[in-house]
Amino acid sequence: MTTVYNPDTRALSEILQTLFERNLDRARRGMSVLLSRDPAAVGATLRDVVYARGTLRLYRYRPLTDEVYRIPVVLVMTLVSKPYILDLSPGHSLVEFLLREGFDVFMVDWGIPRPEDKRLGLEYYVLESLPRNIEEVQKVTGEREVSLFGYCMGGLFALMCSGVFHDAPVANIVCAATPVDFDGMGLFRRWSDRRWLDVDRLVDRLGNIPADLILRSFEMLRPVERWFSYVRLADNLWNDLWVRDFRLFYQWNHDQMPFPGEAYRQMIKELMWENKLMKGTLTIGGRRVDTRAITCPLLHIMAEHDHIAPYAATRPLTTIVGSQDKEDIVLRGGHVSLVAGRNAGFRLWPELSQWLGVRSV
Amino acid sequence: MPDSNNRPDVAELWRSWLTETERQWNAFFNDVTGTDSFGRLLGGYMETYGTIHRLVTRSMERSLSTFNVPTRSDIVDLSERLSNVEERLGSIEFSLRALAEAVGHPTQPAAVTQLRPRRTRRPPRQPSQAQ
Repeated sequence: MTTVYNPDTRALSEILQTLFERNLDRARRGMSVLLSRDPAAVGATLRDVVYARGTLRLYRYRPLTDEVYRIPVVLVMTLVSKPYILDLSPGHSLVEFLLREGFDVFMVDWGIPRPEDKRLGLEYYVLESLPRNIEEVQKVTGEREVSLFGYCMGGLFALMCSGVFHDAPVANIVCAATPVDFDGMGLFRRWSDRRWLDVDRLVDRLGNIPADLILRSFEMLRPVERWFSYVRLADNLWNDLWVRDFRLFYQWNHDQMPFPGEAYRQMIKELMWENKLMKGTLTIGGRRVDTRAITCPLLHIMAEHDHIAPYAATRPLTTIVGSQDKEDIVLRGGHVSLVAGRNAGFRLWPELSQWLGVRSV
Repeated sequence: MPDSNNRPDVAELWRSWLTETERQWNAFFNDVTGTDSFGRLLGGYMETYGTIHRLVTRSMERSLSTFNVPTRSDIVDLSERLSNVEERLGSIEFSLRALAEAVGHPTQPAAVTQLRPRRTRRPPRQPSQAQ
Protein backbone atom coordinates (compact mmCIF):
# COMPACT_ATOMS: atom_id res chain seq x y z
CA MET A 1 0.00 0.00 0.00
CA THR A 2 1.35 3.43 -0.90
CA THR A 3 1.50 6.22 1.73
CA VAL A 4 0.13 9.48 0.40
CA TYR A 5 2.01 12.58 1.65
CA ASN A 6 -0.57 15.04 2.81
CA PRO A 7 1.00 18.37 3.81
CA ASP A 8 -0.84 20.55 6.32
CA THR A 9 -1.83 23.16 3.75
CA ARG A 10 -4.17 25.03 6.09
CA ALA A 11 -1.40 25.72 8.60
CA LEU A 12 0.99 26.69 5.83
CA SER A 13 -1.46 29.15 4.34
CA GLU A 14 -2.08 30.66 7.80
CA ILE A 15 1.65 31.20 8.28
CA LEU A 16 2.04 32.69 4.81
CA GLN A 17 -0.93 34.96 5.33
CA THR A 18 0.45 36.20 8.70
CA LEU A 19 3.87 36.78 7.11
CA PHE A 20 2.31 38.66 4.22
CA GLU A 21 0.21 40.87 6.50
CA ARG A 22 3.13 41.59 8.81
CA ASN A 23 5.38 42.50 5.90
CA LEU A 24 2.74 44.87 4.58
CA ASP A 25 2.55 46.47 8.03
CA ARG A 26 6.35 46.60 8.22
CA ALA A 27 6.58 48.41 4.91
CA ARG A 28 3.84 50.87 5.85
CA ARG A 29 5.17 51.66 9.34
CA GLY A 30 8.78 51.56 8.16
CA MET A 31 8.03 54.46 5.84
CA SER A 32 6.28 56.26 8.66
CA VAL A 33 9.24 55.77 11.05
CA LEU A 34 11.77 56.80 8.41
CA LEU A 35 9.87 59.86 7.32
CA SER A 36 8.80 61.04 10.77
CA ARG A 37 11.10 63.71 12.17
CA ASP A 38 8.85 64.92 14.98
CA PRO A 39 10.09 64.05 18.43
CA ALA A 40 7.73 61.89 20.46
CA ALA A 41 5.67 63.78 23.04
CA VAL A 42 7.21 63.07 26.45
CA GLY A 43 6.78 64.31 30.00
CA ALA A 44 3.13 65.15 29.42
CA THR A 45 1.82 64.90 32.99
CA LEU A 46 0.58 68.28 34.23
CA ARG A 47 2.94 69.99 36.65
CA ASP A 48 3.84 73.34 38.16
CA VAL A 49 7.25 74.81 38.90
CA VAL A 50 7.51 75.21 42.64
CA TYR A 51 11.10 76.40 42.84
CA ALA A 52 13.75 77.35 40.30
CA ARG A 53 17.38 78.23 40.59
CA GLY A 54 19.73 78.37 37.62
CA THR A 55 18.90 75.31 35.53
CA LEU A 56 17.28 73.53 38.45
CA ARG A 57 13.51 73.12 38.56
CA LEU A 58 11.43 71.60 41.32
CA TYR A 59 8.13 70.42 39.87
CA ARG A 60 4.96 69.46 41.60
CA TYR A 61 2.73 67.17 39.57
CA ARG A 62 -0.95 67.90 39.85
CA PRO A 63 -2.57 65.27 42.06
CA LEU A 64 -5.06 63.00 40.30
CA THR A 65 -6.91 62.00 43.45
CA ASP A 66 -8.83 64.06 46.02
CA GLU A 67 -7.12 62.28 48.86
CA VAL A 68 -3.33 61.75 48.90
CA TYR A 69 -0.92 60.06 51.26
CA ARG A 70 0.34 62.37 53.97
CA ILE A 71 4.03 62.15 53.02
CA PRO A 72 4.94 63.58 49.60
CA VAL A 73 7.29 61.74 47.26
CA VAL A 74 10.25 63.62 45.80
CA LEU A 75 11.81 62.08 42.71
CA VAL A 76 15.52 62.92 42.56
CA MET A 77 17.00 62.62 39.10
CA THR A 78 20.44 61.73 37.87
CA LEU A 79 22.82 64.25 36.29
CA VAL A 80 23.43 62.24 33.14
CA SER A 81 20.01 61.93 31.57
CA LYS A 82 16.76 63.74 31.11
CA PRO A 83 14.12 63.22 33.79
CA TYR A 84 11.28 62.41 31.41
CA ILE A 85 12.31 58.76 31.60
CA LEU A 86 10.05 58.68 34.69
CA ASP A 87 7.23 60.34 32.77
CA LEU A 88 7.60 58.94 29.28
CA SER A 89 4.10 59.15 27.90
CA PRO A 90 0.50 59.02 29.11
CA GLY A 91 -0.23 55.47 30.23
CA HIS A 92 3.48 54.68 30.40
CA SER A 93 4.72 56.88 33.19
CA LEU A 94 5.87 56.17 36.72
CA VAL A 95 4.84 59.69 37.72
CA GLU A 96 1.31 59.18 36.41
CA PHE A 97 1.11 55.79 38.12
CA LEU A 98 2.13 57.27 41.49
CA LEU A 99 -0.40 60.09 41.09
CA ARG A 100 -3.17 57.61 40.35
CA GLU A 101 -2.12 55.61 43.40
CA GLY A 102 -2.68 58.72 45.52
CA PHE A 103 0.81 60.15 46.05
CA ASP A 104 1.69 63.84 46.02
CA VAL A 105 4.62 63.75 43.59
CA PHE A 106 7.47 66.25 43.19
CA MET A 107 10.50 66.03 40.94
CA VAL A 108 13.94 67.57 41.25
CA ASP A 109 15.12 68.21 37.70
CA TRP A 110 18.72 69.47 37.67
CA GLY A 111 18.33 70.78 34.12
CA ILE A 112 20.92 70.92 31.36
CA PRO A 113 24.15 72.34 32.78
CA ARG A 114 25.31 75.58 31.22
CA PRO A 115 29.00 76.16 30.53
CA GLU A 116 29.34 78.16 33.75
CA ASP A 117 27.90 75.22 35.72
CA LYS A 118 31.25 73.44 35.30
CA ARG A 119 32.05 74.64 38.82
CA LEU A 120 29.11 72.82 40.38
CA GLY A 121 30.37 69.98 42.53
CA LEU A 122 28.77 67.51 44.91
CA GLU A 123 28.68 70.28 47.55
CA TYR A 124 26.12 72.15 45.46
CA TYR A 125 23.93 69.13 44.75
CA VAL A 126 24.10 67.41 48.13
CA LEU A 127 24.63 70.17 50.69
CA GLU A 128 22.80 73.08 49.10
CA SER A 129 20.35 72.15 46.45
CA LEU A 130 18.65 68.96 47.57
CA PRO A 131 18.03 70.23 51.14
CA ARG A 132 16.66 73.47 49.68
CA ASN A 133 14.28 71.49 47.44
CA ILE A 134 13.08 69.50 50.44
CA GLU A 135 12.40 72.78 52.26
CA GLU A 136 10.30 73.98 49.35
CA VAL A 137 8.29 70.75 49.36
CA GLN A 138 7.71 71.19 53.08
CA LYS A 139 6.43 74.72 52.49
CA VAL A 140 4.07 73.76 49.69
CA THR A 141 2.61 70.70 51.37
CA GLY A 142 2.80 71.78 54.98
CA GLU A 143 4.30 68.40 55.82
CA ARG A 144 7.53 68.01 57.75
CA GLU A 145 8.71 64.79 56.14
CA VAL A 146 9.23 63.63 52.58
CA SER A 147 10.03 60.34 50.86
CA LEU A 148 12.98 60.47 48.48
CA PHE A 149 13.00 58.32 45.35
CA GLY A 150 16.43 58.44 43.70
CA TYR A 151 17.02 56.97 40.30
CA CYS A 152 20.64 56.01 39.50
CA MET A 153 22.81 58.92 40.65
CA GLY A 154 19.72 60.53 42.17
CA GLY A 155 19.76 57.65 44.66
CA LEU A 156 23.37 58.53 45.48
CA PHE A 157 22.35 62.13 46.16
CA ALA A 158 19.53 60.94 48.43
CA LEU A 159 21.94 58.71 50.36
CA MET A 160 24.66 61.36 50.56
CA CYS A 161 22.25 64.05 51.72
CA SER A 162 20.75 61.80 54.40
CA GLY A 163 24.26 60.63 55.33
CA VAL A 164 25.42 64.21 55.94
CA PHE A 165 22.28 65.68 57.52
CA HIS A 166 21.28 63.08 60.05
CA ASP A 167 18.24 65.08 61.08
CA ALA A 168 17.05 65.54 57.48
CA PRO A 169 13.26 65.29 57.33
CA VAL A 170 13.37 62.15 55.20
CA ALA A 171 10.74 59.59 56.11
CA ASN A 172 11.65 56.97 53.48
CA ILE A 173 14.32 56.47 50.85
CA VAL A 174 13.88 54.47 47.66
CA CYS A 175 16.99 53.90 45.56
CA ALA A 176 16.64 52.43 42.09
CA ALA A 177 19.67 51.26 40.09
CA THR A 178 21.99 53.14 42.42
CA PRO A 179 25.64 52.07 42.42
CA VAL A 180 27.45 52.32 45.75
CA ASP A 181 30.36 49.91 45.40
CA PHE A 182 32.36 51.42 42.59
CA ASP A 183 34.78 48.46 42.58
CA GLY A 184 31.89 46.67 40.89
CA MET A 185 31.48 49.22 38.11
CA GLY A 186 33.14 46.92 35.58
CA LEU A 187 34.21 48.55 32.34
CA PHE A 188 33.50 52.10 33.53
CA ARG A 189 36.02 51.57 36.30
CA ARG A 190 38.61 50.13 33.94
CA TRP A 191 38.21 52.94 31.44
CA SER A 192 38.52 55.61 34.12
CA ASP A 193 41.57 54.03 35.75
CA ARG A 194 43.94 56.70 37.05
CA ARG A 195 46.80 55.14 35.05
CA TRP A 196 45.30 56.47 31.82
CA LEU A 197 42.60 59.00 32.67
CA ASP A 198 43.93 62.40 33.69
CA VAL A 199 40.60 63.66 34.98
CA ASP A 200 41.97 67.03 36.11
CA ARG A 201 43.32 67.81 32.67
CA LEU A 202 40.13 66.63 31.00
CA VAL A 203 37.84 68.74 33.18
CA ASP A 204 40.16 71.76 33.07
CA ARG A 205 40.15 71.64 29.29
CA LEU A 206 36.54 70.75 28.59
CA GLY A 207 34.67 72.29 31.52
CA ASN A 208 31.50 70.22 31.45
CA ILE A 209 31.95 66.74 30.00
CA PRO A 210 30.17 66.90 26.60
CA ALA A 211 26.95 64.95 26.17
CA ASP A 212 28.45 63.19 23.18
CA LEU A 213 31.26 61.68 25.28
CA ILE A 214 28.73 60.50 27.85
CA LEU A 215 26.57 58.92 25.16
CA ARG A 216 29.53 57.16 23.50
CA SER A 217 30.74 55.77 26.83
CA PHE A 218 27.29 54.27 27.47
CA GLU A 219 27.19 52.85 23.96
CA MET A 220 30.63 51.30 24.38
CA LEU A 221 29.31 49.14 27.19
CA ARG A 222 27.20 47.30 24.63
CA PRO A 223 28.84 48.21 21.33
CA VAL A 224 26.54 46.28 19.01
CA GLU A 225 23.27 46.99 20.81
CA ARG A 226 22.32 49.90 18.60
CA TRP A 227 22.75 47.91 15.37
CA PHE A 228 20.82 44.96 16.70
CA SER A 229 18.09 47.31 17.86
CA TYR A 230 17.60 48.37 14.24
CA VAL A 231 17.20 44.72 13.24
CA ARG A 232 14.65 44.28 16.03
CA LEU A 233 12.85 47.40 14.86
CA ALA A 234 12.58 45.97 11.34
CA ASP A 235 11.33 42.70 12.83
CA ASN A 236 8.70 44.44 14.97
CA LEU A 237 7.57 47.14 12.58
CA TRP A 238 4.16 45.47 12.36
CA ASN A 239 3.65 46.07 16.09
CA ASP A 240 2.44 49.63 16.84
CA LEU A 241 3.10 49.46 20.57
CA TRP A 242 6.63 48.13 20.04
CA VAL A 243 7.47 50.84 17.51
CA ARG A 244 6.08 53.53 19.80
CA ASP A 245 8.20 52.30 22.74
CA PHE A 246 11.25 52.02 20.52
CA ARG A 247 10.93 55.63 19.42
CA LEU A 248 10.44 56.85 22.99
CA PHE A 249 13.47 55.00 24.34
CA TYR A 250 15.59 55.82 21.31
CA GLN A 251 14.81 59.50 21.76
CA TRP A 252 15.61 59.37 25.47
CA ASN A 253 18.84 57.40 24.95
CA HIS A 254 20.13 59.97 22.49
CA ASP A 255 18.95 62.93 24.51
CA GLN A 256 21.99 63.03 26.78
CA MET A 257 23.16 66.00 28.77
CA PRO A 258 26.65 67.31 29.52
CA PHE A 259 27.99 66.32 32.94
CA PRO A 260 28.98 69.23 35.24
CA GLY A 261 32.80 69.25 35.26
CA GLU A 262 33.50 69.58 38.98
CA ALA A 263 30.95 66.92 39.92
CA TYR A 264 32.52 64.62 37.31
CA ARG A 265 35.98 65.19 38.76
CA GLN A 266 34.74 64.35 42.26
CA MET A 267 32.78 61.30 41.11
CA ILE A 268 35.84 59.90 39.37
CA LYS A 269 38.32 60.66 42.14
CA GLU A 270 36.25 60.04 45.25
CA LEU A 271 34.01 57.25 44.08
CA MET A 272 35.49 55.55 41.03
CA TRP A 273 39.11 55.61 42.20
CA GLU A 274 38.83 55.58 45.98
CA ASN A 275 35.40 53.99 46.43
CA LYS A 276 34.98 56.25 49.46
CA LEU A 277 31.21 55.93 49.86
CA MET A 278 31.53 52.19 50.32
CA LYS A 279 34.47 52.58 52.68
CA GLY A 280 32.63 55.20 54.71
CA THR A 281 35.35 57.81 54.22
CA LEU A 282 33.58 60.15 51.79
CA THR A 283 33.46 63.80 52.77
CA ILE A 284 31.60 66.54 50.91
CA GLY A 285 32.47 70.14 51.69
CA GLY A 286 34.38 68.91 54.72
CA ARG A 287 31.37 67.00 56.08
CA ARG A 288 31.49 63.24 56.41
CA VAL A 289 28.89 61.16 54.61
CA ASP A 290 27.94 58.61 57.23
CA THR A 291 25.49 56.27 55.57
CA ARG A 292 25.33 54.15 58.75
CA ALA A 293 23.51 57.06 60.33
CA ILE A 294 20.62 56.61 57.88
CA THR A 295 17.91 54.92 59.89
CA CYS A 296 14.74 55.61 57.93
CA PRO A 297 13.03 52.79 55.99
CA LEU A 298 14.88 52.09 52.77
CA LEU A 299 13.82 50.24 49.65
CA HIS A 300 16.51 49.24 47.24
CA ILE A 301 15.61 48.20 43.71
CA MET A 302 18.18 46.58 41.45
CA ALA A 303 18.13 45.18 37.95
CA GLU A 304 19.68 41.80 37.37
CA HIS A 305 21.01 42.71 33.93
CA ASP A 306 21.91 46.34 34.55
CA HIS A 307 24.98 47.09 32.43
CA ILE A 308 25.31 50.74 33.53
CA ALA A 309 25.08 50.25 37.29
CA PRO A 310 25.95 46.54 37.45
CA TYR A 311 24.44 44.28 40.07
CA ALA A 312 27.86 43.99 41.77
CA ALA A 313 27.93 47.77 42.25
CA THR A 314 24.36 48.16 43.49
CA ARG A 315 24.01 44.99 45.59
CA PRO A 316 25.73 46.16 48.82
CA LEU A 317 23.61 49.30 49.24
CA THR A 318 21.51 48.01 52.11
CA THR A 319 24.63 46.80 53.93
CA ILE A 320 26.00 50.34 54.31
CA VAL A 321 22.93 51.94 55.89
CA GLY A 322 21.82 51.73 59.49
CA SER A 323 18.11 51.26 58.73
CA GLN A 324 16.31 48.38 60.41
CA ASP A 325 13.43 48.50 57.94
CA LYS A 326 15.19 47.85 54.64
CA GLU A 327 14.42 45.69 51.68
CA ASP A 328 16.19 44.62 48.50
CA ILE A 329 14.25 43.90 45.35
CA VAL A 330 16.06 42.38 42.40
CA LEU A 331 14.12 42.41 39.16
CA ARG A 332 14.91 41.05 35.74
CA GLY A 333 15.67 43.77 33.25
CA GLY A 334 18.17 46.49 32.64
CA HIS A 335 19.00 49.94 33.94
CA VAL A 336 16.19 51.69 32.10
CA SER A 337 13.60 48.96 31.72
CA LEU A 338 13.72 48.57 35.51
CA VAL A 339 11.89 51.86 36.04
CA ALA A 340 10.39 52.65 32.67
CA GLY A 341 10.04 49.47 30.61
CA ARG A 342 6.66 48.12 29.59
CA ASN A 343 6.93 45.47 32.32
CA ALA A 344 7.83 47.98 35.03
CA GLY A 345 4.12 48.83 35.19
CA PHE A 346 3.34 45.27 36.21
CA ARG A 347 6.40 44.52 38.33
CA LEU A 348 8.14 47.47 39.95
CA TRP A 349 5.52 50.19 40.16
CA PRO A 350 2.89 48.21 42.14
CA GLU A 351 5.56 47.00 44.57
CA LEU A 352 6.88 50.52 44.96
CA SER A 353 3.41 51.91 45.57
CA GLN A 354 2.65 49.23 48.14
CA TRP A 355 5.96 49.74 49.98
CA LEU A 356 5.64 53.51 50.01
CA GLY A 357 1.91 53.50 50.75
CA VAL A 358 2.15 51.80 54.13
CA ARG A 359 5.02 54.11 55.10
CA SER A 360 3.45 57.36 53.89
CA VAL A 361 0.51 57.75 56.28
CA MET B 1 7.83 28.60 21.38
CA PRO B 2 6.22 25.56 19.70
CA ASP B 3 2.49 25.93 19.05
CA SER B 4 -0.25 23.55 20.15
CA ASN B 5 0.63 21.18 17.27
CA ASN B 6 4.25 21.20 18.45
CA ARG B 7 5.45 23.04 15.36
CA PRO B 8 8.51 25.18 16.11
CA ASP B 9 7.90 28.92 15.83
CA VAL B 10 10.44 30.08 13.25
CA ALA B 11 10.14 33.72 14.31
CA GLU B 12 10.89 32.79 17.91
CA LEU B 13 13.94 30.78 16.85
CA TRP B 14 15.15 33.76 14.84
CA ARG B 15 14.69 36.11 17.82
CA SER B 16 16.55 33.75 20.16
CA TRP B 17 19.36 33.55 17.65
CA LEU B 18 19.44 37.35 17.38
CA THR B 19 19.59 37.80 21.15
CA GLU B 20 22.31 35.19 21.53
CA THR B 21 24.36 36.65 18.67
CA GLU B 22 24.08 40.13 20.14
CA ARG B 23 25.14 38.82 23.55
CA GLN B 24 28.16 37.07 22.05
CA TRP B 25 29.28 40.12 20.07
CA ASN B 26 28.88 42.36 23.09
CA ALA B 27 30.83 39.90 25.23
CA PHE B 28 33.58 39.79 22.60
CA PHE B 29 33.86 43.59 22.44
CA ASN B 30 33.70 43.84 26.23
CA ASP B 31 36.67 41.46 26.44
CA VAL B 32 38.57 43.68 24.02
CA THR B 33 37.61 46.98 25.67
CA GLY B 34 38.32 45.61 29.13
CA THR B 35 42.04 45.22 28.47
CA ASP B 36 44.77 47.55 29.73
CA SER B 37 45.86 48.31 26.19
CA PHE B 38 42.37 49.51 25.28
CA GLY B 39 42.31 51.58 28.47
CA ARG B 40 45.56 53.26 27.41
CA LEU B 41 44.12 53.82 23.94
CA LEU B 42 41.03 55.39 25.43
CA GLY B 43 43.15 57.58 27.70
CA GLY B 44 45.08 58.72 24.61
CA TYR B 45 41.82 59.43 22.80
CA MET B 46 40.53 61.56 25.69
CA GLU B 47 43.84 63.41 25.81
CA THR B 48 43.68 64.11 22.06
CA TYR B 49 40.01 65.07 22.32
CA GLY B 50 40.86 67.60 25.03
CA THR B 51 43.83 68.98 23.09
CA ILE B 52 41.88 69.35 19.85
CA HIS B 53 38.99 70.90 21.75
CA ARG B 54 41.34 73.50 23.25
CA LEU B 55 43.07 74.22 19.94
CA VAL B 56 39.79 74.61 18.07
CA THR B 57 38.42 76.84 20.84
CA ARG B 58 41.50 79.07 20.75
CA SER B 59 41.68 79.40 16.98
CA MET B 60 37.93 80.00 16.81
CA GLU B 61 38.17 82.74 19.43
CA ARG B 62 41.00 84.39 17.53
CA SER B 63 39.07 84.26 14.24
CA LEU B 64 35.85 85.55 15.78
CA SER B 65 37.70 88.38 17.53
CA THR B 66 39.29 89.35 14.23
CA PHE B 67 35.84 89.72 12.69
CA ASN B 68 34.59 91.55 15.77
CA VAL B 69 32.02 88.83 16.53
CA PRO B 70 31.31 87.68 20.11
CA THR B 71 33.15 84.50 20.99
CA ARG B 72 31.79 81.56 22.98
CA SER B 73 33.52 82.78 26.13
CA ASP B 74 31.90 86.22 25.66
CA ILE B 75 28.52 84.52 25.53
CA VAL B 76 29.38 82.32 28.51
CA ASP B 77 30.39 85.45 30.45
CA LEU B 78 27.12 87.05 29.53
CA SER B 79 25.23 83.92 30.51
CA GLU B 80 27.07 83.89 33.84
CA ARG B 81 26.07 87.48 34.50
CA LEU B 82 22.48 86.65 33.57
CA SER B 83 22.60 83.71 35.98
CA ASN B 84 23.77 86.06 38.72
CA VAL B 85 20.86 88.39 37.93
CA GLU B 86 18.52 85.39 38.07
CA GLU B 87 19.98 84.36 41.42
CA ARG B 88 19.53 87.86 42.79
CA LEU B 89 15.97 88.00 41.48
CA GLY B 90 15.34 84.58 42.98
CA SER B 91 16.56 85.66 46.41
CA ILE B 92 14.55 88.93 46.22
CA GLU B 93 11.47 86.92 45.23
CA PHE B 94 12.14 84.52 48.10
CA SER B 95 12.43 87.38 50.60
CA LEU B 96 9.26 89.01 49.28
CA ARG B 97 7.41 85.72 49.51
CA ALA B 98 8.59 85.21 53.07
CA LEU B 99 7.52 88.74 53.89
CA ALA B 100 4.12 88.23 52.24
CA GLU B 101 3.59 84.95 54.05
CA ALA B 102 4.54 86.61 57.35
CA VAL B 103 1.72 89.14 56.89
CA GLY B 104 -0.73 86.49 55.73
CA HIS B 105 -0.62 86.91 51.94
CA PRO B 106 0.81 83.73 50.36
CA THR B 107 2.29 84.48 46.92
CA GLN B 108 2.74 81.00 45.45
CA PRO B 109 1.33 80.61 41.93
CA ALA B 110 -2.37 79.89 42.14
CA ALA B 111 -2.09 76.46 40.54
CA VAL B 112 0.25 75.28 43.30
CA THR B 113 -1.52 76.86 46.27
CA GLN B 114 -4.92 75.67 45.12
CA LEU B 115 -3.78 72.08 45.21
CA ARG B 116 -4.91 71.12 48.65
CA PRO B 117 -5.80 67.47 48.46
CA ARG B 118 -6.70 65.83 51.73
CA ARG B 119 -3.58 64.15 53.07
CA THR B 120 -5.44 61.35 54.76
CA ARG B 121 -5.13 58.51 52.30
CA ARG B 122 -4.55 55.04 53.76
CA PRO B 123 -3.07 52.11 51.89
CA PRO B 124 -5.54 49.49 50.71
CA ARG B 125 -5.89 46.60 53.12
CA GLN B 126 -3.78 43.61 52.23
CA PRO B 127 -5.46 40.17 52.03
CA SER B 128 -3.54 39.03 55.14
CA GLN B 129 -4.69 42.14 57.05
CA ALA B 130 -8.29 41.63 55.98
CA GLN B 131 -8.53 38.24 57.62
